[in-house]
Amino acid sequence: MAGREITYTEAAREALTAAMERDPTIFVLGEGIGERGGNFNTTLGLYERFGPRRLRDTPICERGFVGLCAGAAMTGTRPVVDFMFIDFILDAVGELTNQIAKIQYMSSGRLKMPVLLRGCVGIGGGHATHHSGSYYPLFVNVPGFRVVVPTTPHDAKGLMATALRGDDPVLYLEHKSLLNIRGEVPEEDFQIPFGEARVCREGTDLTIVAVGPLVPRSLAAADALDAEGISVEVIDPRTLAPLDLDTILSSLRKTGKLLVADESFGPCGIGAEIGAQVMERGFDDLAAPVRRLNGVHTPTPYSLPLEAAVAPSADQVAAAVRELADE
Amino acid sequence: MTIPQDKLLSLYRTMVRIRRCENQLARSYAAGTITGACHTYVGEEAVATGVCAHLRDDDAVFSTHRGHGHALAKGVPPRELVAELFGRVTGCSGGRGGSMHLFSPEVGMMGTSGIVGPCILQAAGAGYSFQLRETDQVGVAFFGDGAVGNGAFHEGINLATIWDLPVLFVCENNMYATEVAFANSARNTDVAGRAAGYGLHADAVDGNDVVAVYEAAGAAVARAREGGGPSLIECRTYRTRPHAEGMRDGGYRTQEEIDSWKARDPITSFARALLDDGIAIPDELQVIDDEIAVEVQQAVDFATQSPWPDAETVADHVYGTDA
Amino acid sequence: MAIDVVMPRLGWTMEEGTLVEWLKASGESVQVGDILFTVESDKALNEVEAFDAGALHIPANAPTPGDSVPVGTVLGYLLAEGETPPERVPPPPRIAVKDVAVTAIPASSGAPPATDRGTPAISPRARRLARELGVDWEHLIGTGRTGRISEEDVRAAASAHSTAAETSEAERIPMSPTRQAIAGRLVTSHRDGAPVTLTADLDATALVELRQRARPRLGYNDYLIRFTATALERHPALNSSLHGDDILLHPGIHIGFAVDTEAGLLVPVVRDANRKSVEEIARESASLSGRALRGELARQEMTGGTFTITNLGADGIDAFTPIINPPQSAILGVGRIAQRPAVHEGEVVPRWLAVVSLTFDHRLVDGGPAARFLATLRELVESPVDLVA
Repeated sequence: MAGREITYTEAAREALTAAMERDPTIFVLGEGIGERGGNFNTTLGLYERFGPRRLRDTPICERGFVGLCAGAAMTGTRPVVDFMFIDFILDAVGELTNQIAKIQYMSSGRLKMPVLLRGCVGIGGGHATHHSGSYYPLFVNVPGFRVVVPTTPHDAKGLMATALRGDDPVLYLEHKSLLNIRGEVPEEDFQIPFGEARVCREGTDLTIVAVGPLVPRSLAAADALDAEGISVEVIDPRTLAPLDLDTILSSLRKTGKLLVADESFGPCGIGAEIGAQVMERGFDDLAAPVRRLNGVHTPTPYSLPLEAAVAPSADQVAAAVRELADE
Repeated sequence: MTIPQDKLLSLYRTMVRIRRCENQLARSYAAGTITGACHTYVGEEAVATGVCAHLRDDDAVFSTHRGHGHALAKGVPPRELVAELFGRVTGCSGGRGGSMHLFSPEVGMMGTSGIVGPCILQAAGAGYSFQLRETDQVGVAFFGDGAVGNGAFHEGINLATIWDLPVLFVCENNMYATEVAFANSARNTDVAGRAAGYGLHADAVDGNDVVAVYEAAGAAVARAREGGGPSLIECRTYRTRPHAEGMRDGGYRTQEEIDSWKARDPITSFARALLDDGIAIPDELQVIDDEIAVEVQQAVDFATQSPWPDAETVADHVYGTDA
Repeated sequence: MAIDVVMPRLGWTMEEGTLVEWLKASGESVQVGDILFTVESDKALNEVEAFDAGALHIPANAPTPGDSVPVGTVLGYLLAEGETPPERVPPPPRIAVKDVAVTAIPASSGAPPATDRGTPAISPRARRLARELGVDWEHLIGTGRTGRISEEDVRAAASAHSTAAETSEAERIPMSPTRQAIAGRLVTSHRDGAPVTLTADLDATALVELRQRARPRLGYNDYLIRFTATALERHPALNSSLHGDDILLHPGIHIGFAVDTEAGLLVPVVRDANRKSVEEIARESASLSGRALRGELARQEMTGGTFTITNLGADGIDAFTPIINPPQSAILGVGRIAQRPAVHEGEVVPRWLAVVSLTFDHRLVDGGPAARFLATLRELVESPVDLVA
């Protein structure tokens, strides 16, 4: 019997709903996530089910409600902050980095910080520069955060379920272009552990580690390259912190060549981190330098042709692969 | 005073404990045993004492850089405070926090912070938890006049008010933020008045009168516990030592001003009131003074003899759940 | 208990301060808040208040105004009524925090040792080089610390490979039994002994002139055999051999001399060279070398030697490191006699000079006796008239 197919948003919502059923201490804060069900339908139907205290609309004060959630997490509840656009998280950076990230450490583990911080990321649809960011490197770099980047409905559900069970603050970053993709998702509750990458496609000539929307674009490129005789392995890390380097190293041992494809900026991005770790731990498997394909290092422009020019496409992935395969 | 004698003496004891501890920490800082910054609470003891007298261990207090008094009043033993500032593993934060990161959740001390503002938001968050879980616990934030100009004051009070959260916001208005006079940071220095503008219950009291603080705090805590929502108490007080130990105190305030507030010392004026009203005799107060002197000396000895944290543990507790 | 009055920390980075002036005198009564003394730090003057009350007591060994001391240094005491004044202040404190051992933070872990891998590890750079030089690197053993094949390993393999390639076209000559025997003895000598070579520059001008005048003309080698025999008489330690743990000092002096033949290097022996005149030695050596070259030497004519001389002067060699003929304890190598500038009686003049190289086995012979042997030989060569008899 064919599995049931739902969208990425529906899958995440399923996980959230199941968790809120199971755990009465989970509540959601954000702008428009109450009765309206969220700008991106992240909480559609939950208000009717769980009421206004657990689906709480906020004023526009990200620092305020993120700081509030830090206090709530310390006193026995599990806040979910729904930023809508992750760009808005930047107003709360102080509360996130100086408070939320550090309190477990400062209290030697006597205080927990189970805060889920979710929002839509990324480029597409001409949203321009205040609504197209990703900003994950800050949260990967600062000790204390988990950073999760699901790319399929299945993973969206499993990773959300894990996030809502742990003690740590989790950045749950959902790319705009993935919200409506459909995929097979089990009906029952299940969890995907953090730190486990997924090999989406096996290959022998070259490895692509792809983040977010670059996963489907890399898969599309891989199909085209197959016809040209280049066999590409595609890995979706699924979580950037913790990062599953072992899977990447195993693949590199097989193929010898690695491309990291990520829409976010190159400097200090996950490609730089993977490159450094691969150099330290997989140096002898390298047949060629690690290559990165990133978005262009500019604020995101509005006009569609400009926007398209700053985000890597499937064609650009294929071109990068061809070059790397030749080395 | 309609407060029972044992409670009054307990208030006295707490204030003396804070004063004695803070003077000792000032000495230790001067001698180089404490590193970083040490913001002492000398002169403001009545505020922490009067408020925390109404709090249980499961009420949550969030404080700022000037938090030793709140920690002690909330129930952190002096030896854990001193050991923490001495950097020892027996400190309340295991040596990981120091003066500005005092954690003792076991007694509801949910952290002091080196950043101004977050405590207001976090106290509101505690209020949110207690409301959601339908308990009668209360969240309390202690902050200074310096926080009033910060966005967290506005956002935190606003959120607490619109959602009727069980929170007490205590503004310790000592007229200076570091060396910046409140009068230069705000056109309207009436903190209680400003808070009332949000629809919040707000009172201003003499922060050097422990009974006045006690009574105002009692009403606010009761209101919160009964679902009546948040309150703000502005306690007008003064710190008679510099902003932080080791900093010069001259230039931004006059010796006359400092002396005029020393004359209104919360402990000596309370002691006088207790004696005048026949609540206590000098010997009783002396016994308390002596007991506290011993307690603080023992705290210093304990701290001095305590081991340092093991460097092997330096990376522990970054995460709560192993990946 | 006396209360310490210390040098205070007056700034977040202050580590020491200068005591400028006491504003209270030793013995004076102090109230809480009184200004006790002034301190200079960071170019600013600070007044320091008393935390406590009491009678100020400044011991004799306390820091004095003008002294710069670390934060926390005891400057004096405040005493309660009737308290005994401490006689001394303690020395300045070392900051206890600095004594705490710090665990070094390990650098990020590197690659696992290359030798743990199933296949050899080669650096990307070395692999490129292997490609360029046509080296099959998979059979190489890496010399990197973790066993990784390096650029040097690839280069070494490349040159060994090219040498190997040459030998496949070379002419193949099997070793004769004689050569094999000689080879065996040389290796034994080299391996088992402790050879040391001393060289000495000899002024052979007198010998050259002597030989010029002599009739019949004799060979230099013959003179050297005779002089060596005399020197060995005077330095019997060089006329010895090792048998087990015993050093045998031979009574007879039998000197072998190396002859280069087609069959290899042969060493006929002049027996009792110390009892023969140079002419006698010359006649004998001519006979022996003739027969050596014709392959007619009897075996006993090549055994029993107690010392060997090998002369490469005719081949233009100046000095070399001869290998001892086991079981002998020394061998003398003789280089060419040639005219060279030398200082003679204070002037630089052309003289006939030669270098002799004495290799001795240090297991039996020490440097001192060997050097003295050479010194004697020098004397005999440089003043040869004594022996021509």
